[in-house]
Amino acid sequence: MHYQVDSWGYYMPRMSMGSDPMERVAKLASESAVVIFSLSSCCMCHAVKRLFCGLGVNPTVYELDQDPRGKDLEAALMRLLGNSQAVPVVFIGGKLIGAMDRVMASHINGTLVPLLKEAGALWL
Amino acid sequence: MNVPTGLIQQEGSAFGFGELEEAIVLQGLNIRNDEAKAPLFGTGRPAATLEMFPSWPMRFKQTPRGSSKSGGGSTDSGSAVNTISSKTENQLEPESPISTKNTAPLDHQQEMMASDVSRTGQEKRRGSTSEKQLDAKTLRRLAQNREAARKSRLRKKAYVQQLESSRIKLSQIEQDLQRSRSQGFFLGGCAGALGNISSGAAIFDMAYSRWLEDDQRHMSELRTGLNAHLSDSDLRIIVDTYISHYDEIFRLKVVAAKADAFHLITGMWTTPAERCFLWMGGFRPSELIKMLISQLDPLTEQQVMGIYSLQHSSQQAEEALTQGLEQLQQSLTDTIAGGPIIDGMQQMAVAIGKLANLEGFVRQADNLRQQTLHQLSRILTVRQAARCFLMIGEYYGRLRALSSLWTSRPRESMMSDEHSCQTTTDLQMVQPSQNHFSEF
Repeated sequence: MHYQVDSWGYYMPRMSMGSDPMERVAKLASESAVVIFSLSSCCMCHAVKRLFCGLGVNPTVYELDQDPRGKDLEAALMRLLGNSQAVPVVFIGGKLIGAMDRVMASHINGTLVPLLKEAGALWL
Repeated sequence: MNVPTGLIQQEGSAFGFGELEEAIVLQGLNIRNDEAKAPLFGTGRPAATLEMFPSWPMRFKQTPRGSSKSGGGSTDSGSAVNTISSKTENQLEPESPISTKNTAPLDHQQEMMASDVSRTGQEKRRGSTSEKQLDAKTLRRLAQNREAARKSRLRKKAYVQQLESSRIKLSQIEQDLQRSRSQGFFLGGCAGALGNISSGAAIFDMAYSRWLEDDQRHMSELRTGLNAHLSDSDLRIIVDTYISHYDEIFRLKVVAAKADAFHLITGMWTTPAERCFLWMGGFRPSELIKMLISQLDPLTEQQVMGIYSLQHSSQQAEEALTQGLEQLQQSLTDTIAGGPIIDGMQQMAVAIGKLANLEGFVRQADNLRQQTLHQLSRILTVRQAARCFLMIGEYYGRLRALSSLWTSRPRESMMSDEHSCQTTTDLQMVQPSQNHFSEF
């Protein structure tokens, strides 16, 4: 297999040019316990990253503005979420949690931490 | 020489520098003249004498040269000139050689300086120049100084009067505004016309004041429900209605954030005391829980854990949002500060784009507030929840009352009597439990 170092310093199998962005999203999301799609310039993305770091979680962050095919991924995420804001969006254990508001609601109603533990991102 | 005395009596107000200088110079000149009769400085031509006093009517005749000589203060002198009647001009018209006029000398001068207030046609020029060592420039300067000093005194007087009346008007307006605000009544629609509040903000303020009135009703329903010892299911209906009432203000705030995030974030829609505790356009959820914890006894152990966990999660979420907002501020600063001036518009466009993110933060903060209240009602029993919401309402009601008391407290000013009256009425307003109970 041919491996390529991407901009995330992350070894990934090389994909064919015609791969569906949605498929790619799903694939990336399933590869880590906590996956955050972000833009390096987005401040709300910064907030969600800080939230997880504050919880003691080490999320895998994909900065779409640093990805050559980031635009496609953004479009796919927009479709997935059904709104004009693609990022930030959080996956835990391969499952879509949602944008910032859903993440916050989940934390407040106490469902976020169990999910994190279940996915193996937290051990306490 | 009685010149100085005459000058002091001249205009009644503060002694101007112009006159003082003039008095000193002329005093010196008069002494010199007594000693020796020197020829007229400069020229022996009659025309030259006329030009020496651009503040005098002769400027009409010698406009080009006069204006070039008078320089800075000439406009003042010029306007004085314009008020001089034609009589003066007539006086000047049949001007004979200076020698005859020179007899009008010092006496005229002293008289004029003693009585000069407005420059009527009675003023004669100081034709004594040919007899004295009067420096043309000096005399012109003195005249201009005097004129300028007089004008500036008048301007200052007018300005101070204007300031005084504005100050009174302003404090009256402030009083009215605070009184209106304390009664939960905002400027609303008419404020939009004033231009100092956006229409989105004005609309929200109106909606918020209506919400506060509704809140009063809901509060009394809760109170009656608790006192009447209703069944849990009946009380549940009241509590759920109250939660929907909260949901409504958060919906209104979503719209308001889109229209004018600054209005929400600066807290101009709340009272001063509330504004003190403002976090991202509203109350800080963890602070609210802290306030409630001591009052919510008795709680089961599970409930206590739930409440503390809620407080903890809330704090974490608040911290994350705060850091996100800080990064936004930093990014904004980086965009605006420094950078090439040439690219100014581009810079501004980028900055505006970043500012738009403010709406998102206010929305997330409101979302956090809403979720916290919902979670509270899940942790608590119906009766506890009813008491809890009543407590929240009473807390903010007292904050609002505090604000209105604060703004109407007596101050060391002319308005002190009015203020103390207002404080009394405000105290009366605080007593009945209905008023001022609000939350958001």
